[in-house]
Amino acid sequence: MKLIERRVSPADSPLAVTTAMVGAAVVAMLITSLLFTLYKANPLQAYFALFHEPFASWRGFGYTLVRTAPLTLIALGTIVSWRSGFGYLGFEGCFVIGAAATSWLALNTAFSSWAFLPLALLLSFAAGAAWAGMVALIRARFGGNEVLISLMMNYVAILIVQYLVSGPMRAPGGVPETALLPRATWLPFILPGTRAHAGILLALLATLLVWVLLRKSRVGYELIVSGLSPSAARFGGINVGARLVFAAFCAGGLGAWAGLVEVLGEQHRLMDGISGGVGFTGIIVALLAKLNPLAVIPAAVLYGGMTVGANAMQRRAGIPSSITFILQSLIVLMVLASDIFRRYRVKLT
Amino acid sequence: MNLHRLLTSAFFVTWLAASLRLAGPVLLAALGETFAERSGVLNVGIEGTILLGALASFLTDYVTGSVWLSLFAAMFTGIVFNLLLAWMYVTVRASQVVVGLVFNVLAIGVAATVYRRALGESSGPQSVAMFAPLHVPGLSDLPLLGPVLFGQTSLLYLTLVLVGLAHFVLFHTSFGLALRAAGENPSAADAAGISVGRMRYIGVLIGGATAGMAGAYLVLAQIGLFRESIVSGQGFIALGIVIFGRWSPWKAALAALVFGACDALQLSLQLGGGNVPPQLLASLPYVVTILAISGLFGGRAVQPAALMVPYAKE
Amino acid sequence: MPAFEMRKIVKRFPGVVANRDVDITIEAGEIHALLGENGAGKSTLMQILYGFHSMDSGSILIDGKPVEIASPRDAIALGIGMVHQEFMLVPRFSVVENTVLGLQGKLDLREAARRLRTLSEQHHLAVDPDAQVQHLPIGVQQRVEILKLLYRDARLLILDEPTAVLTTHEKDQLFTVLRGLRSEGHSIVIVTHKLQEIVDLADRVTVMRDGQVVATVSTRETTEQELARLMVGREVNLRAVKVPVERGKAILRVEGLHVRDEVGQEKVRGVTLDVHAGEIVGIAGVDGNGQSQLAEAIMHLRPADKGRIFLHDREVTRLTVAQHRAFGLAYVPADRRHVGAVTEMSIADNAILGSQGKHTKGPFLNTRKIREHAEKLITRFGVRATSIATKAGKLSGGNLQKLILGREILEDAAAMVVEQPTRGLDVGAIESIWAELLAQRERGKAILLISAELEELMNLADRIAVMFEGRIVGILNAASVTTEKLGLMISGLSEES
Repeated sequence: MKLIERRVSPADSPLAVTTAMVGAAVVAMLITSLLFTLYKANPLQAYFALFHEPFASWRGFGYTLVRTAPLTLIALGTIVSWRSGFGYLGFEGCFVIGAAATSWLALNTAFSSWAFLPLALLLSFAAGAAWAGMVALIRARFGGNEVLISLMMNYVAILIVQYLVSGPMRAPGGVPETALLPRATWLPFILPGTRAHAGILLALLATLLVWVLLRKSRVGYELIVSGLSPSAARFGGINVGARLVFAAFCAGGLGAWAGLVEVLGEQHRLMDGISGGVGFTGIIVALLAKLNPLAVIPAAVLYGGMTVGANAMQRRAGIPSSITFILQSLIVLMVLASDIFRRYRVKLT
Repeated sequence: MNLHRLLTSAFFVTWLAASLRLAGPVLLAALGETFAERSGVLNVGIEGTILLGALASFLTDYVTGSVWLSLFAAMFTGIVFNLLLAWMYVTVRASQVVVGLVFNVLAIGVAATVYRRALGESSGPQSVAMFAPLHVPGLSDLPLLGPVLFGQTSLLYLTLVLVGLAHFVLFHTSFGLALRAAGENPSAADAAGISVGRMRYIGVLIGGATAGMAGAYLVLAQIGLFRESIVSGQGFIALGIVIFGRWSPWKAALAALVFGACDALQLSLQLGGGNVPPQLLASLPYVVTILAISGLFGGRAVQPAALMVPYAKE
Repeated sequence: MPAFEMRKIVKRFPGVVANRDVDITIEAGEIHALLGENGAGKSTLMQILYGFHSMDSGSILIDGKPVEIASPRDAIALGIGMVHQEFMLVPRFSVVENTVLGLQGKLDLREAARRLRTLSEQHHLAVDPDAQVQHLPIGVQQRVEILKLLYRDARLLILDEPTAVLTTHEKDQLFTVLRGLRSEGHSIVIVTHKLQEIVDLADRVTVMRDGQVVATVSTRETTEQELARLMVGREVNLRAVKVPVERGKAILRVEGLHVRDEVGQEKVRGVTLDVHAGEIVGIAGVDGNGQSQLAEAIMHLRPADKGRIFLHDREVTRLTVAQHRAFGLAYVPADRRHVGAVTEMSIADNAILGSQGKHTKGPFLNTRKIREHAEKLITRFGVRATSIATKAGKLSGGNLQKLILGREILEDAAAMVVEQPTRGLDVGAIESIWAELLAQRERGKAILLISAELEELMNLADRIAVMFEGRIVGILNAASVTTEKLGLMISGLSEES
């Protein structure tokens, strides 16, 4: 008599899916707390520090919003490209390229703030779009694997920016970073008493734009069909190659905007390591949101908050902030793995 | 200058010897990954596995001082972590690229956390015992071949032996035939009585073992210490080498050599002074890999037909 | 005592009971046919015997002793072998590599090749052990599949729809081989829905319908009509009512078309034909003689190497798919699930595939118009679905085909290319699709109908062109042609200029 029997088709009611996701998150947290014991810390205390700080106070929430903006933009870029069948992973590269383009514009031109921002948005989007577009071209023309090529391009972009901040764009002094950007280029703060800046507004706008694009526009329809079945797309008269390049432009541009937001809103200068791995964390946020644009903001707020809380956790419980990488990736891995549990049911009779 | 002088000049000899040496880690990782991809699985997670293997070898070497034990620890670590990956790829049948990518982030977190705990935040990089270059009396002193072929570490020689072993197993044993069938046409393999799932698990675990060894190579035969940035794309480059090597072990060795030569070239150009910014030189290996896998030289058509396609029995 | 016996087999799949208390016995030295329509459960039953599926309940006995078959490995060990409808060969491997695949022990390809040659001569199954399978014609690939079974000393050979992809000549060769194997004491099961072949070849036949066994009879004691009646459950008289229609101008014209496939082989070798308004031109031929490539080239899903295509006397050879559609060409492809529709999208989304440009308000989709269009589609064409938001992949084959055909018909294009429209469908769906096609013919549309079913062509087409190895070997008037004549032409054994 078997206790566990295989379902005829996986349970896919909203309740089943939610239960699976919550269960996965819990398992991830349990596994991570095992690592806490390595540091002789109390898991409950540590989790409290991790989640309390970013959400309990205005100041903390402000920091959370700062982290949320770039994550959202990269997650949106992931959604547009992946759902169109373009497996782009080069967001780290687009981020730093966008940050570099923005910094260059800020340091080398003098516009009033209301003229500067639109230009910066345009320039950085174009730079990111071109960066990602190169990969799309290689795939369309030569059939190269965009997954690996975009990963390689990340390193090239990072090295280019390293070179820029050690050489042509370096501020006087020995540190590999640029001078502070002019005050007129900084994004305004939007929540008094916090460091939350207008970048989150850009992220919200981008969310709306991406949702409208994918759900309501004809181009979006063609992108999604191309992603689900290129042969059916061609049958339907869709120019799959052109759509791929379009998706790449959007992905690259959104990734570059994430860099813009970080430079103009938080760092106010370009330096090596400015990304902090957000090019990959943003992809993870998109996965957690199951590639649905409307679910990105909540997922990004959660993960952005975790990054903020990690610093608090380090201060209060002595656990290194690198443990958030573990928690953030484990949650998604467990969610993916939870699929397998939806394929079975427990028989109690 | 004439050809003989060029071929025996110190620059050329150093460059060639370094090419071989630098090719080691990516070749090791590529060998195992060839088995994984031949069985139908694309394991992007070897980047993270190399990092974890490097850490394991470093810690073992730090404590025991034995390079061979450290190598074994790295291999073991690679296998254990890839068991999780294999489960997600083959049993859960999740998207392979996604799982591999997320795993890499996990590996970065684990490596950083464990390293800092082990060594404390304050201490700087610690150096550990390394594989020493072999000295074969008589042969190592030959003008060109000496340092290039007979002055390498035993780990590199082991790697070269593995190339031959991999080729034999893959193409001249029934196991290799079954593994390749799982990656070309899993239904046919299944109909022939082969367990496709088992073949893929084995393929991924072999990949994990060599990726762990690649990490050990970085620490024990190349750099001599551990830092969190010790792995920056070698795993992805290994994936490129598998493609460029057309999923064949000895062609992968040639491809790895080409990569090693580029890496050695840019390093010696950096040292040699000159006006080219070091960062741009450092991008050479990546650019070369991009060109190699761009499809400019063909290649897409030769990949295992069922690569990345999960297989499920009713 | 029968050599092989299956008792009370039950197997369920999501939404359907594929096998319901099925009993079947197979003797040694017998050719036993398993007859049923698509979806009757015959393939499933044999997959269970071969260990590909697990049964929910029932038992299997060999020589009277119960056995467990949990996987193909068990089946092979017990002397059971199967040749599937889609060959289980690794295209890039050689014949000998495919033969020894899955066998334990040392890999000795030379020894295996030697043994293969012996078997091949013994059973008149000529094959080159070192040839790469993907370069072999289908008939030879089938020989490889059979040799694989004999190499493993199979006592029972199961062949699933073995003649589906063979020419008449290849079929005769296969029958000779099978009769030879029978006289050596092998048991053979052929799963098929071709009545003529059963009567020609088999000793006994088991008829299945809706997952159950309806009858087991000796072929000497029955007729094709009775078998058909058992198979379908009623008097079958699949005839379409074709009204005489006056033929108009040539709408679609193809001149000297040459087309290659992905690997560079020329599949269409100089085809010239035309389709007039108000007529159905059929293209007969076994799958693989260039029909798919011809259809794709006409629709510009595949570029033509040489030759020209005309629509309304206007050359369209170099235009894009979207432009072909705009000029009045619709297409119902053979692959419903991967080309004709996107299974993960809703019915509504699929309803505008190909015409999405017409359902817009500026850059946006006109959701109201799309909803109306989709609802009109499913009502008019009888697509059974709960709502237009249902995913297309959940529709049955027949309903999906009605959706696709309906969508193309609603485009009101002057010309339509229709490829294998009723493959895998049940009788009810076939009848309604035939009725739709004939209705479009009466409305003056030009229809090019590509089909491997002679009955379909004889019923629907006005003229029938036969394609063999990329060439048209004859264009005949449907009213005066016979199945024998068509059969010969399809096999390349006759030409009519």
